[in-house]
Amino acid sequence: MSRWTKERVEEALTGPLSRRTFLKGMAAAGAMAVLPCGLLAPEAAGATESYGGGYTVFRNACPRNCYDTCAIKTYVQDGVAKFVEGAPESTFTRGGLCVKGNSYIRSTYSPDRIKYPMEQQGRGTGKWKRLTWDEAMDKIARKILAIKEQDGSLLGLGLTKYSGNFGITNYGVEGMMSSLGYTTRFVGTPCWPAGIDAQNFDMGSMWCNDPEDMVKSRYIIVWGANPAWCSVHSMKYLYAAREAGAKIVVIDPVFTQTAAKGDEYWQVATGTDGALALGMCRHILDREMYDKDWVAANSLGFEEFADYLRSNVTVDWAAKLSGLPAERIVAVAEEFAAARPATVWIGYGLQRHVNGGATVRAIDALVAMTGNIGKEGGGARYGHLQTWGFNYHAMVQKPPEGAVGFVGASGPKGEFDFAGGDKTVKHTDRAVNINKTAQEILDARNPPIRMLWASCKNVLSQDFDRPKMIEAFGKLEMVVVVDHFFNQTVEQADIVLPVTTCLEEWTVNVSYWHYWLALNEQAVKPLHEARSNIEIAAALSRRINELAPGSCTFPTEIDTREWMEAEFNKGIYDLFGLKSWEELRDGPVKAKLASSAAWHDRKFATPSKKYEFKSELCAKNGHEALPAYKEGRKAYDKLRLLTPHSKFSLHSQFQNLDWMEEFNPAPVVYIHPRTAEARGIRHGDAVRVFNKVGEEKLRAVLTANVPPDALLLYEAWFNGRKFNCQNLVDDTSADMGAFKTGAPGVAIHDQFADVARA
Amino acid sequence: MSHPDAALAALRDFFAAGSGAELERACARLATAGCVPPPEADEDLEYDFNRLFVGPGRLAAPPYASVYLETEPRLMGETTLLVRAVYHALGLASPRQSALPDDHLSLELDAALALRAAAGEADGPEMAALRRYFLAEHLGRWLPAFAARVREASPHPAVACAVSRLLDWLDHELSAVPEYGEYGRDERQRRCV
Repeated sequence: MSRWTKERVEEALTGPLSRRTFLKGMAAAGAMAVLPCGLLAPEAAGATESYGGGYTVFRNACPRNCYDTCAIKTYVQDGVAKFVEGAPESTFTRGGLCVKGNSYIRSTYSPDRIKYPMEQQGRGTGKWKRLTWDEAMDKIARKILAIKEQDGSLLGLGLTKYSGNFGITNYGVEGMMSSLGYTTRFVGTPCWPAGIDAQNFDMGSMWCNDPEDMVKSRYIIVWGANPAWCSVHSMKYLYAAREAGAKIVVIDPVFTQTAAKGDEYWQVATGTDGALALGMCRHILDREMYDKDWVAANSLGFEEFADYLRSNVTVDWAAKLSGLPAERIVAVAEEFAAARPATVWIGYGLQRHVNGGATVRAIDALVAMTGNIGKEGGGARYGHLQTWGFNYHAMVQKPPEGAVGFVGASGPKGEFDFAGGDKTVKHTDRAVNINKTAQEILDARNPPIRMLWASCKNVLSQDFDRPKMIEAFGKLEMVVVVDHFFNQTVEQADIVLPVTTCLEEWTVNVSYWHYWLALNEQAVKPLHEARSNIEIAAALSRRINELAPGSCTFPTEIDTREWMEAEFNKGIYDLFGLKSWEELRDGPVKAKLASSAAWHDRKFATPSKKYEFKSELCAKNGHEALPAYKEGRKAYDKLRLLTPHSKFSLHSQFQNLDWMEEFNPAPVVYIHPRTAEARGIRHGDAVRVFNKVGEEKLRAVLTANVPPDALLLYEAWFNGRKFNCQNLVDDTSADMGAFKTGAPGVAIHDQFADVARA
Repeated sequence: MSHPDAALAALRDFFAAGSGAELERACARLATAGCVPPPEADEDLEYDFNRLFVGPGRLAAPPYASVYLETEPRLMGETTLLVRAVYHALGLASPRQSALPDDHLSLELDAALALRAAAGEADGPEMAALRRYFLAEHLGRWLPAFAARVREASPHPAVACAVSRLLDWLDHELSAVPEYGEYGRDERQRRCV
């Protein structure tokens, strides 16, 4: 007779009769039930299987601020998500994810997650006490009521929220604020507002072609975007177009992975893209290679634009500013104008400048004058919100009876604000600029911002001028942070609340790039004590109404699946050809498009209904009516400082996971060898990067992929490290953004610094 | 409850503590096992306990078996599901389900208590094998690594003492638990173990 072994026990444990194998006699009859004060309890009668059931597949969607917004299939066994894969039904992702999306199991089941509501005894002290949800809600509710008592309004309560989770029900965070009354809202977007305004002035809206139609392009300029890292699923369309004969030109100050894949690469002097585009326009004009019929039929102000080009722009001028050879500008301009169709992918990086909106208008003009707008395979591709017409059921909440707010100015906006404004409402929220969060907190008076609620946002990592932000936080009486991981914002919080990951909540997602709609099911029960944003809102409403009845209109009990369902409407169903959201359980669905081209009917949404080379609306908003060149920011230090996106993170998300740390363990600064040599810096040296804002210490990596006049360090939050690129980035505004998003953008890439050995 | 079981229950409740008050009560019970309770209202113990085992930061010593036994540290791994299967084999389950992963130290110590009780009630070779497995192949494989992580993190004296008692208990159990017995379904064979 053989003996028991480890393997035999495990085999028996995981077999179908495990209980009967081990438990006999009295114990089987219930002896286990009598353990005193035990944490474990007798299992429900009839629980016969605990291990190795079949997989159940759930539908999820990556809700990050990303072009690709991938539909995900999650395989769940025994209540545990085992692995994820891209939804094969999407022709855009074709069953793939990216390095970040593939890590969702690691993030949901990371031992580092914030697990419980907790309160810090002194910000930054690390002295944390655990709270029950009831205790946390009680403390928060009492503070909100005290603010109302003290100020007579809730304008002392500020909300900052952005793109940490774009699942539509997460607009319930804004809804929670509205249901409490009129509050202070950090409005605008740090991401893309200058370009949004530019496209609104030119065309009346931001609307891009379906990225899947890039296969039809015969010429593609990827201008200031790095899809090889930031939109991996778009790359296959570039390759397919090239196989069909298209040429791919990549324009970027940095030799990116995308640049390496292009046929021609232009290392443009940072911030001079507008001059480059206008130089190309001038040459096309001179050669009469522009599309005369298109311009005549569909545009306004082309003659004035042509006059502007003739009097102010030459190819040599563009070459001198951009640092590119005139003969290449001429050659590519001619190739672009001759190709039918040709397209430009306008990246977000090139508009994060004091002249960013003007730059986008110049590039739009290049695409328009060559007749490429409204054509499949053409287009000035920037982004779109065509598929975002949800109900915003979670977001749209009424203020309580008698709520007092801000009087006089318009309420908050944002690129995703579809609620519209009720002009008859006398009181509004107080809107302040999200891109100057620190300054707004410091400046707010009557009342001051006393309390900050941060959700879907890592303020200390993503907002500008960190030294000033620390000072601003000093003014706040209470900071509540809702997050997954202990980041630099949680470090400065009084109360932290654990929030669900996308695998643990019901919501629905769309993209600002492709045209797919994806359901996000609750694939697994929330780990620890995590709750979704709308469940947190309901819990707060419950407590604050117990303390002061009638002080919050947010429902106190919600079914999160029903709230997901409530986001759908006839418009969404018709656009996607759906009868019910339940059809999305079979996979993501693409919008039924009359054409893959934006503006395919040439009916522009501008005041003239034409493409406006000359926009009076733009002039009325304080800019040039024509897409004229606008000077960049004057350098305030020796080298340009670039802080773009890393491959391993989306802003401050993902980099903290062990899988990412293995490949990207520590922040570095990339320096051109000549620049380094002049400063006696060798590869791997510890260096100091410093400017008027602050300083960062990190290792130097020497590479000719960055221009000699620039330093590059990727934005990200590294777990357990003090590194923060916002110690080197000030909050100077971009030119545009206020028109459509409520606040101007921010000149993230108009920053300067120097470097020295540490 | 016998004396060793009382100490084990106190350790269980120490690691299960969800508040300063619960920690204080568990410390008072650990006094009988030789751990000097911290002075009243010693909030440092709570802060340190949370730094090590609760959060919200990256935990110095996560109290979950799967962090130590999986190829890549994580929660809700294969280890967790095997531990859930052990509870199931005992007719038990964690009422908190995913709100507290099954391989959290406090639940495992509760299961260790249950196994002692079961050993008395249903002393078959299968139950003995299960007990051997859970102590030697499971707790014995991760508690020393866990204790090392705690010690490296310069813990509060009360935490250090609890972890030291935990290792004492483990050593005692491992020395007392019989080797695997014979394997078979024959009743006669079973009586021979």
